[in-house]
Amino acid sequence: MIQIQNASKSFKGKPAVQNLTLQVNKGEIIGLLGANGAGKSTTINMLLGFIKPDSGDVQIQQKDCFNQSGEIRKLIGYIPENVNLYPYLSGVENLNYFCTLAGHHYAKSQLQDFLITCGLEPDAHHQRVSNYSKGMRQKVGIAIAFAKKANVYLLDEPASGLDPMASNELSVLLTKLADTGAAILMASHDIFRVREVCHRIGILKQGKMVKELNSQEVSANELETLYLDFMKN
Amino acid sequence: MWQIIKNEWYSLTRNRTLLTVSIGFVGLLIATIYLGHLQTQKNTQQYIEAKNHLRTQWESIRAMNPHGAAHYGTYVFKPANVLSSLDEGVNSITGKVLRVEGHVQNEIMYSEASQSQTISKFGKLKGALLLQYIIPLLLIFLAFQSINREKQSGRLKLLLLQGITITQLTFAKTLAVCSYGIGLLLVTISAYTILNLDNITTNIIARAGLFFLSYSLYYFILTALTVYLSARWVSTNLALTSMLGVWIFWTIFLPNMLMSSVESLHELPSREALKAAMKEDRAKGLDGHNPADERSKELEKQILEEYQVDSLSQLPINFDGIVMQEDEEIGNQVWDKHFGNLRNVFEDQKQSYQLGGIVNPFISLQNASMGLAGSDNLHHQEFLVQVENYRRVFIKELNDQHAFGGSKTGDWGWKADNDFFKSVSDFNYQPIQLSTVIGNYSIDLILLLGWGVVVSFLLISGTKKMRIQ
Repeated sequence: MIQIQNASKSFKGKPAVQNLTLQVNKGEIIGLLGANGAGKSTTINMLLGFIKPDSGDVQIQQKDCFNQSGEIRKLIGYIPENVNLYPYLSGVENLNYFCTLAGHHYAKSQLQDFLITCGLEPDAHHQRVSNYSKGMRQKVGIAIAFAKKANVYLLDEPASGLDPMASNELSVLLTKLADTGAAILMASHDIFRVREVCHRIGILKQGKMVKELNSQEVSANELETLYLDFMKN
Repeated sequence: MWQIIKNEWYSLTRNRTLLTVSIGFVGLLIATIYLGHLQTQKNTQQYIEAKNHLRTQWESIRAMNPHGAAHYGTYVFKPANVLSSLDEGVNSITGKVLRVEGHVQNEIMYSEASQSQTISKFGKLKGALLLQYIIPLLLIFLAFQSINREKQSGRLKLLLLQGITITQLTFAKTLAVCSYGIGLLLVTISAYTILNLDNITTNIIARAGLFFLSYSLYYFILTALTVYLSARWVSTNLALTSMLGVWIFWTIFLPNMLMSSVESLHELPSREALKAAMKEDRAKGLDGHNPADERSKELEKQILEEYQVDSLSQLPINFDGIVMQEDEEIGNQVWDKHFGNLRNVFEDQKQSYQLGGIVNPFISLQNASMGLAGSDNLHHQEFLVQVENYRRVFIKELNDQHAFGGSKTGDWGWKADNDFFKSVSDFNYQPIQLSTVIGNYSIDLILLLGWGVVVSFLLISGTKKMRIQ
């Protein structure tokens, strides 16, 4: 469903992604590990259609992500690292607003179910988001992505700010989504979470895919050692 | 798009500072309209009282020589257009009272500006000041970070990923903020309507409708440009300062610069030069070949032939009245020539200034606003023309009475009776037809529409190139 073929992107002559090739199939969760500036966010932005690759193909469901960004974006559920919502709206109101923009009209109870599924306590649903913690905002952001009922999910540090319990709930949720046939690409620094939830893992360094492996092949500790070795060298 | 507009409105209503400012501003707006209305009512009342008083005075002339009455003359008053409480235009500097008498076309007097204290000339709070200067400023402050804030917070990505386009977003933001200004405009028009329920006519409704349209277009232009800059500039401060720069340039510098250029391009003669030229024409005759005494002799000859008599004393009429009327006719021609030229220069100045709307929509707004409120130079000039036309009829009636009312040449002691003076018609100002106003200001409305199209195009094409990461 997600296909990146020899994609490269430079900013002011500095390469951000170099000859990246990656495929995420239906029902698969792929994790991208890498230090800051490794090219994870650029890769996700190319898939979101916000950045045009200098060369190579970036496609979702056989559609060019940049030239057909309008169509592509309807297919994608996206969770950014920092979910900034409208502070004057409550969690439910924010969720309702973004769902309505996406063309989904849910009843209040359905919206609340999404929030509960994403780990937001019911008593917070009607509070203004200006009173929310980062983690609470993140949960609403996850609910926005899930309520879209997309086929493809792009997650950029989705567990950022989440408490361990919520982070675990997210992992469960992602697994369930993959089981329903969604293709998920998750960029993260969290080696253990990536190891736990992803089927395959790619390590990016200076825009290049330096290692690709099946999560079943390595333990979390081995993965950490491997990752650190790549970062040092 | 409607959802985004609704959300923007919601954000405006939940912003306590804005809510407080808005409530205060609406109060100020209503107070200004109310005070303007009171002023208009007072002026109208004074106008009616003065008009009735002078008419009563005129009708109470028991017996008087008609030519003496022509020197006695009367006064006419410029009536206030009901909409001028929204935009006073040039009314405060043009004056509103004109003395009508024989031999001479007087200048209008008693302008508000000439009578008020210096401080009040600059500090008076008027509806147009709020509508043309303050509301646009509020719109700039509301719109300058509309897109930038979404971009910097990362919400822009989330919004676009819901399937909306950047064009839909910028238009929705523009319409949401613009509707705030339109809301304040509606408050103004509604307050005005409530205060003037007794005077509302279809003409006023149509004028108010076009007035509303002009301001709505201007608010859209200003808001769209601010939203565009908010989308294009990386920094919100840059968007704000550049838009404030545009506002200052449009509202303060450019109108003055353009007006000075237009005045240099189509120069008006000085008051002294105009008076001297008129005096010369009046003395020498229109083409310089017809001195006054020769004209008088020619006229005498013509009248004696017409009545088939040899001398003025044999005439059954009063030749003095005919001479005076002839002198009036010459004076009228001199006035037509010189004031016709002046009016042509005014017209050229107006048309050139209107073209300034190509680079500055504020000029188009000001022109349309004054024109539709009936407080512009066009309405003022029309008043002067109607007064002069009335003066001619008025003086001719008096001269004809002097000539044909029963007296003989040289009989300056002859008096017309009260019935005659009662029969002399009073001045009745005929308001300018709306079609004339539209004809004169269609260019401004078209330019405002054109600007609306240009900024819409900017929003569509300009924001497509926006970098979102």
